[in-house]
Amino acid sequence: MTAASAAESSAGPARPASTAETAEALRRSVARQFRRSLHIRTLDTGSCAACEQEIRLLAAPHYDLHRLGFFFTPAPRHADLLMVTGPMIRAFDIAARKTYAAMPGPKLVVATGACALGGVYSSDAFTHGGIGETLPVDVWIPGCPPSPLALLQGLLVAVDRLAEKVRELTFTQEGDHR
Amino acid sequence: MTALRQDAGLPGLLSLLGHDAVADDGPVVTVAVAATDTEAAVRRLAAAPGARLADLFASGGNPAIDGDPVVLRMVWGLDSDRRYLVTESVIEGERYPALSDIVPAAFTEECEIYEQFGIRPAGDKPLNRVALPPQADPGFPRLGRPPAEQPADVHAAHFVGGQAFEFPFGPVRGVGVESLYYGLVTSGEELVDLYLFTWHKHRGVEWRLRGRTPREALFQVERTEGLGAVGVGWAFAAATEAAAGVEPPARAMRTRAIALELERLYNHAAATAALCQSTGLAVGQAAAEIALERLLRLNAAAFGHRYLFGVVDIGGARCGPDAAALRRELPGAYGELRRAADALLGTNSFLDRLEATGILTQEAAQRLGMVGPVARATGLRVDARADHPAAPYAEHPPAVATGQGGDVLARFRVMQAEAAESVRLIGDLLEAGAGPGCADLPEGTISRTGPPGSPDRSGLGWAESSRGEALAWVSLDEGGRIARARLRPASVRNWRGFDDACRSQNVFTDVPIIEASFWLTVAGMSR
Repeated sequence: MTAASAAESSAGPARPASTAETAEALRRSVARQFRRSLHIRTLDTGSCAACEQEIRLLAAPHYDLHRLGFFFTPAPRHADLLMVTGPMIRAFDIAARKTYAAMPGPKLVVATGACALGGVYSSDAFTHGGIGETLPVDVWIPGCPPSPLALLQGLLVAVDRLAEKVRELTFTQEGDHR
Repeated sequence: MTALRQDAGLPGLLSLLGHDAVADDGPVVTVAVAATDTEAAVRRLAAAPGARLADLFASGGNPAIDGDPVVLRMVWGLDSDRRYLVTESVIEGERYPALSDIVPAAFTEECEIYEQFGIRPAGDKPLNRVALPPQADPGFPRLGRPPAEQPADVHAAHFVGGQAFEFPFGPVRGVGVESLYYGLVTSGEELVDLYLFTWHKHRGVEWRLRGRTPREALFQVERTEGLGAVGVGWAFAAATEAAAGVEPPARAMRTRAIALELERLYNHAAATAALCQSTGLAVGQAAAEIALERLLRLNAAAFGHRYLFGVVDIGGARCGPDAAALRRELPGAYGELRRAADALLGTNSFLDRLEATGILTQEAAQRLGMVGPVARATGLRVDARADHPAAPYAEHPPAVATGQGGDVLARFRVMQAEAAESVRLIGDLLEAGAGPGCADLPEGTISRTGPPGSPDRSGLGWAESSRGEALAWVSLDEGGRIARARLRPASVRNWRGFDDACRSQNVFTDVPIIEASFWLTVAGMSR
């Protein structure tokens, strides 16, 4: 039974709210809340350290990421978004996949900088040449390194993508609304 | 020993090595040393005052050529003589004398040479994994032949009567920092020992450079250590210029120096911000970050790139500085850093965390061949700008700042003194006139003769980056392409002193403070 048909069959004045209505409210609330608080985990897969410097500067007074509702978190378990720098060194595959797997859904991957996009290293025995092969990328931020302003722009695009992902969620499973 | 001191200086050293004084009176002297004499030569050089092993690397050993011998090269900084001495030894077979028994600073390079070329020092000393990951099989790309055995994954010894345990941390660690694996040995709070794995970030940069034209290679070289793009790029460009026999115009050299001093400024500002972050001082961090951002914007205004990529060119400088922007903006941007640093030096809660933290003794710094602010904070006066003054530092010598005690506070003070000196130098260099310009590079047809790797087709380059002396050695083939390029950013040297500094009576929370004060990159180390 789908969420929509559940809403029709359970419509009645005695019940406080249908599962579908609750889910819809929750969905709206999450979409709203993610716009106010999005937690970022960074992952270096072989960068030259310049991208890291620009990412650190996002929290500096000139840009002040926190006022926009973004926060950095060291724990992938608390992260909504993974900012990945570097060309994805093959020796880093396991660590990268584990980091991604530890994040709860819905989650986003942002490929950050020319190396992550595949512009500096070739695909060979050392690196994949970009992160697209290993992780499902939602947003690409070009630049070598991308300036903090470019990173902010990318993050704002990412928030919209996350809102889309949240909209696709039903918050109900088959049979759990009886 | 007395005789040695009398013989100090290049002619004396050369006669000790069995060479007459060479005709070449330039800043780099290259001599051949027979493999059998290597050990004696190293003993003599190690005992000579003012001689310092700056690098050890190999070339040759092409697996496609049967019996192609490996050539072992040492770079000695004869700092009081203002020269570099490069020794070349052809190694037949798979063993060479154990140099790290005499000069401990050589150990990391011995391990690296084993991984890349399959030759090892005599004796059965286990060699650590440095760059190639554990999954690298014999077919994995490397510069020479694969080693007979896998290198060892070194773990620190567990002391403290069996009470210590190992706490693994990384390679994915804090936010906005590079990947690095820490093996922390602790008894709960105190740091008993520490070892690092950096192979997660090995990108095979030296392997990639082979066969490229120097200009193509420079793109990759600048991205070896992004926070040291000018220093490493300059060293590489200078090595190529020495190999090709090209001299860049003086204006372009001053341009490079301005970019290098700007790089030093922003790195020291970034280290200051990192020190505040690691000591939990949010106000100081914000103040230092304001300075850092303004310095980076100044880089962009002056040269068109926040991290000064693309300034250095082979044979000169690709673009000149916007002198008006520099004169207008630099005093204000540096003023922010100065204000932040002065306020921090008056904040006791900050100084308390820095004082006596992460002590590296002068003896250890010398033994491990440390360079840059880390070495200078122990009182060692090593600065390639003063010791090996390439243009334009011969006409514009810097006042070398040294410290005492070798703790985090000493490093912080040295960095601040250097920042002030950089501002002065930039003013002088602008006054002398700086601009773009490039000497013609004999593309494709380098007319010099001699087999690849011979002194007249190879060259050594250096620059004093913000982390210390960056070295590069380049050998060109007949077509003017890279046959072998050795890059040795200062990070390669200075990480080896990090565990020594961490062990000296420190606790867990001191490690980020010590790391910030070293201000190294993993990218430069494992390249």
